[in-house]
Amino acid sequence: MTESRFMRDWYVPVEILTLRSWLVVSFIVHLLLLTVEVLRDDSVSLLLGFIVCILFATLRASLPKIHDQGKRNISLALSALIIGIGIFRLVSSSLSVFDIWMHAWTIIPSSISLWWLSSRAVTVWTSNKLSTSAIEFGLLRNFETIKKHENFSTHLILTHFVFITVIPLIWIIDIAFSPGNALGGEIGDSFSTEHFSKILEGDSFWIWFVNSLIVSIGTSLLGLTIAIPAGYAFSRYKFTGRDVSMFAFLLVQMFPGIIILVPYFLVMKTLGLLNTHLGLILAYCVTALPLCVWMLKGFFDTIPRELEEAATLDGCNQFQVFTKVVLPLSKPAIAVTALFSFLAAWNEFLLALTFNTSNDMYTLPVGLASLISSTGQAWGDFAAASLLVSLPVALLFLFFQKFLIEGLSAGGVKG
Amino acid sequence: MVEVNFKNVSKKYEDGFEAVKDLNLDIKDGEFLVLLGPSGCGKSTTLRMLAGLEEITDGDVLIDHLKVNHLPPGARDLGMVFQSYALYPHMTIRNNLSFGLRMVKGELKLTKDEIDSRIQEISEVLELSDHLEKKPKELSGGQRQRVALGRALVRRPKVLLMDEPLSNLDAELRHQMRKEIRRLHDTLGTTTIYVTHDQIEAMTLADRIAILDKGELQQHCAPMEAYHNPANDFVRSFLCKHIDELVDTANALFKKPGEENE
Repeated sequence: MTESRFMRDWYVPVEILTLRSWLVVSFIVHLLLLTVEVLRDDSVSLLLGFIVCILFATLRASLPKIHDQGKRNISLALSALIIGIGIFRLVSSSLSVFDIWMHAWTIIPSSISLWWLSSRAVTVWTSNKLSTSAIEFGLLRNFETIKKHENFSTHLILTHFVFITVIPLIWIIDIAFSPGNALGGEIGDSFSTEHFSKILEGDSFWIWFVNSLIVSIGTSLLGLTIAIPAGYAFSRYKFTGRDVSMFAFLLVQMFPGIIILVPYFLVMKTLGLLNTHLGLILAYCVTALPLCVWMLKGFFDTIPRELEEAATLDGCNQFQVFTKVVLPLSKPAIAVTALFSFLAAWNEFLLALTFNTSNDMYTLPVGLASLISSTGQAWGDFAAASLLVSLPVALLFLFFQKFLIEGLSAGGVKG
Repeated sequence: MVEVNFKNVSKKYEDGFEAVKDLNLDIKDGEFLVLLGPSGCGKSTTLRMLAGLEEITDGDVLIDHLKVNHLPPGARDLGMVFQSYALYPHMTIRNNLSFGLRMVKGELKLTKDEIDSRIQEISEVLELSDHLEKKPKELSGGQRQRVALGRALVRRPKVLLMDEPLSNLDAELRHQMRKEIRRLHDTLGTTTIYVTHDQIEAMTLADRIAILDKGELQQHCAPMEAYHNPANDFVRSFLCKHIDELVDTANALFKKPGEENE
């Protein structure tokens, strides 16, 4: 008897378990949706949304416990009530995609809870007739179903996040492929490649592209040439001021870039490096170096010292140890670092805007911004060009994906 | 004739810790010497000073009657087996083995044929011929251990150094490799210095053992002599008592049922 009591305490039907978390999620979603209602400034709708919110919270609180027929009935009634309000709001709405989605969040969770609360498993559980074998069966059923529920839930939530992330992209793509330079209009209502041909046939895009390419590749090359030996030295040698200089590297990163903008400009002006590629490369290297050095140092730390000692005994000098053993082992880390400094330079806007003021020295981001001038705002051209700018980056990421993961999860260099 | 001599060698770290104190140790030509002691006794430091991986604070280390104190590790003509094997992960087994040979420059530079024949020779001795084109991560622990041995031996070093080479292997493999190492030593006759904290390993492998504690040499003699005539209390408890206990445990375990009441 005690044994079955013990098991009874452990058994809650999977429906109730899932509802417990999903009603909370629904509540939070509706809370967020309230802000939309506030923006829409529709007081009736706002009131109904608020009521739905409260009802979801009450439903969550009134979910039945074991042998609790009364609470179950309350929950059933609440679910039905929420469905009713949901359907009413859906019918009285304008039936746009957003409205349907929003009211689906009211109707579907409440329908599911109505369905599940009236299911046989919950009925038996809330009534007083739970035998030991029924519990055993129920636990087995939970074990089999709960994974499916979890999978479905995570995917549903992730889909929402993916959608939120992708919306701006879809929007940009739509503008890029629509004729005219206006924002707005329904997505996918017209199609034209005029912006792309205009951008690709014009000279300035290609000039900016080449500028960006030179600056970015220059930055990653120069950055690596400095960062690799520096990272190695930080990782392997103990010298005076080692810790201090490593911290100083980070210190520079702690200030917002705008603070060093003016001093930078003055330095570049004195050196005559304004409107040159070299000036930008130098500036980018300085900003990218700390991260590169720290990343590489972290990787070099994971290479066992014994490997280098073995190489010394095999007759290598310090430099050969570095080139023949350490460098080949660090390929993934170096690739990642190169990619990061490349991307940083490729996307940078502020320094490029300040240093290189002549039109034929613009990098792509600055060039893009120049499309949106105060006189004529070429949104279509801008969208097309920004897609073209992101394309190489996206390709690089696709191409280096395996390397990236390897480099970021580095450390597995065991003999 | 490759002798190794430690003359009043000591090692003091920057923080003042004295790992090795005034060590005098002579290793005869072709001898298998085991440096035995608890962890932190300075046995690894001694080996690493000989290899050139650790600076010598005081005293002289002689290999083949030559003072090597300031010779770079690669020039000392030593082979070393590390505890973690330290195989080069990015190279095939063949390249791991030949790396040291390819690094030889100047008059002694080996031709490609010489290198190939040396690799073939050593891989046959160590039964690695089938694995030459594999990477280290594709091999089992025992095979990696043999590659590490091969890499040390393929250079035909004056002295072979081993730093707890078996401690990463399971009991069965360790037993096998112990026999293998001793067999190799008997065939090649290379002067060998072997570091371990395992008393049984020391007793079974060594021609002579040098027992260290707190950086000081406690006893240096044949293993059985140390067991029968321990020089001091430390040797008595670390070596004799430990072995006696092992033997007692084994006896108690395998006692025949009839003898139980005796």
